[in-house]
Amino acid sequence: MNGLHGIIFSYEKEPGLRELVERRMPGSIPFGGRYRVVDFMLSNMQNAGITDVGVVLHGNYQSLLDHVGNGKTWDMSRKYGGLRILPPFADSHRHHSEEYRGKMEALAGVRSYLEEIRQDYVVLADSDLIINIPLAEVYRSHVLSGADITCVCRQDYQSTENATFFELGADNRILKTLCSPKKPTGYHCLEIYILSKELLLRLVDECAAEEKYSLRRDVLNGMSGSLNLRGYVWNGRAAQIRTVQEYFDKSMGLLEPAVYRDLCAAGRPIRAKEDDEAPTYIAPESSCVNSLVADGCIIEGTVENSILFPGVTVKKGAVVKNSILFKHTVVEEDARISFVIADKYVLVRKGETLAGNASYPMAISKNSVV
Amino acid sequence: MKKECIAMLLAGGQGSRLYVLTENMAKPAVAFGGKFRIIDFPLSNCSNAGIDTVGVLTQYRPLELNAYIGSGQPWDLDRNDGGVHILPPYQSATGASWYKGTANAIYQNIGFVDMYDPDYVVVLSGDHIYKMDYADMVERHKAAGTACTISVMEVPWSDASRFGIMSVDENDTITEFAEKPKEPKSNLASMGIYVFTWSKMREYLIADENDPNSDNDFGKNVIPAMLGSGEKMVAYRFAGYWKDVGTLDSLWDANMDMLATGSGLDLLERDWPIYGRSTSAPPAFLGKGSHVEHSVITRGCTVEGKAENSVLSENSVVEEGADVEYSILMPGAVVKKGAKVNYAIIGENAVIGENAVVGAAPDGSEGWGISVVGPETAIPTGFTLAAKHMIDSGMKEVAR
Repeated sequence: MNGLHGIIFSYEKEPGLRELVERRMPGSIPFGGRYRVVDFMLSNMQNAGITDVGVVLHGNYQSLLDHVGNGKTWDMSRKYGGLRILPPFADSHRHHSEEYRGKMEALAGVRSYLEEIRQDYVVLADSDLIINIPLAEVYRSHVLSGADITCVCRQDYQSTENATFFELGADNRILKTLCSPKKPTGYHCLEIYILSKELLLRLVDECAAEEKYSLRRDVLNGMSGSLNLRGYVWNGRAAQIRTVQEYFDKSMGLLEPAVYRDLCAAGRPIRAKEDDEAPTYIAPESSCVNSLVADGCIIEGTVENSILFPGVTVKKGAVVKNSILFKHTVVEEDARISFVIADKYVLVRKGETLAGNASYPMAISKNSVV
Repeated sequence: MKKECIAMLLAGGQGSRLYVLTENMAKPAVAFGGKFRIIDFPLSNCSNAGIDTVGVLTQYRPLELNAYIGSGQPWDLDRNDGGVHILPPYQSATGASWYKGTANAIYQNIGFVDMYDPDYVVVLSGDHIYKMDYADMVERHKAAGTACTISVMEVPWSDASRFGIMSVDENDTITEFAEKPKEPKSNLASMGIYVFTWSKMREYLIADENDPNSDNDFGKNVIPAMLGSGEKMVAYRFAGYWKDVGTLDSLWDANMDMLATGSGLDLLERDWPIYGRSTSAPPAFLGKGSHVEHSVITRGCTVEGKAENSVLSENSVVEEGADVEYSILMPGAVVKKGAKVNYAIIGENAVIGENAVVGAAPDGSEGWGISVVGPETAIPTGFTLAAKHMIDSGMKEVAR
């Protein structure tokens, strides 16, 4: 299938993610023991046969660039097309020193790229949505339904701030779009949209001409009279992560085998950049239960209900419970940690005790020595 | 483009002493250490040593190996200039022939080597587990100005008669070579790793090919011929971990060496990484009731039961109530509920049915040994496979 082109947005700062976004965009937050959040959307696109993807960037995107590289991981390092990184272009009429205010503005910022798209249809998606969805099916349903824009949505009322909700009518036609409603009702918009390239370009130009920047307000809401908008109801799992608490809860949810299977081990694989670590070694007289463990770890202590990223060391006598330890974290002898999210290269010294709470996990910045 | 040094990796052997494990693949493609294949070791060594041109000589069942090597990207050997090349036997104007021996395999690819016009050629085997800086060996070869440098290691005198043994003078110049001598004069064993000065090697390969009585083998023919003609040859002493994994016992041993601190085989060291082609599997999941001790475990594994002193490869599964000890589960192997696996090698994607018993702990008896289940084999519920027994995918017992 060569009819669909991918656009992934990574420009929104999420202050609710605190320490986790000190040095990165939400899309490059490590998730699930070996992934970055953006791996999910890139893999969804790869699994749908999409070969050309543009990643619209703004902000502190160095970590994201390091991670996606040339796109080889998702077979998107191509002679023609493939993965393209799209920082704000100098030719856009506004100088984007500030954050994009909305998707339409972000798209206008890369207008010249959009024109070169080789495919007839485009799927727009956020880099920070955790989902394993068959986009090929969404695309088929879009073409069959004759809709102008198909919006993926789901019946959930998680307390995501700034969320969009749809009221659906017959044939899943979108009757109403609610932006950040006080009381969520209807279908939660997952910010995955499919539309034709032609319509996309027209909408970008129309919005730019009227200084409009928001996709949901100015297009979904503002043009609902003239556009045929349809919801695609997704009944599977999905998570938008906007706060440390949501990050913690969704991560821990993976310890439920069914969740882990649906998201990471389904027939549609999620691919992540290779870490080139040797297998993990679990020492005698250690214990490691109900946990996800990546490669390159050395476990000599006790690990329970936790997620360990590559190269984590848990020394003798150390106890790690209900925690998420990013790459190369070291927990020294007899240290005890619980409800902690330790960013990369954190060192927890011998005998220290660190405890967060299930309702307020403690996040520790990269390279900290505690 | 001229290269100072290229490597030729001999990967064509069947590995018949690995029996069922090499039924469908060449020995270098056999899984090792949880997430590697044997060939990852020489390829990673080349990559780490800065040798960017490697010819891989394949012959026996090359499908798995070819697919695995691919463009060479996992080892950073996908290059525009050089890189990894698969070299199968081919048909030429004068006819076609299989690789008759190690020396003949390279003889048939003189054209390939000449294309890079190297000063030195490193000859490697595809069945050894070790980390070695070939660049250092090549430096030593250059400095000594020899025709050939052979990497050697000290072995216990009692084992010396199983190896090709080098006698050397005080400068480590080789004075004598004896293949598996009854009464060894030295305990320096050849590791089957050679550096040749290409112009010399080329000469001897042609001479060897023209000798109808030759087996066209490096150890048996070419090395003795060079020594006999008075070529200067030097031994390069290697002291790190090295193991030939050509037999079921040595393959099991080398895997277990990953667990033994002090064995010298430490793959978690980051200064000399071993690379492998990755699968997209998620991290290992250790369930609520799992118990894993003194074992290695890698991506895609699911453990709900017990694993001790074992190597659990990619995507292997140990179900609830199952018990795996002193064993190697190769990629995709599944041990069903209540099954017991003890001192065994379970081949790729093999399934050990519920409550089946495979292998047994050593009991000191003569007949004891490692049990082996071939790749893709489905062991039925409740089945017992005794110690030292081996079974293939058709559930046929294989003698060894």
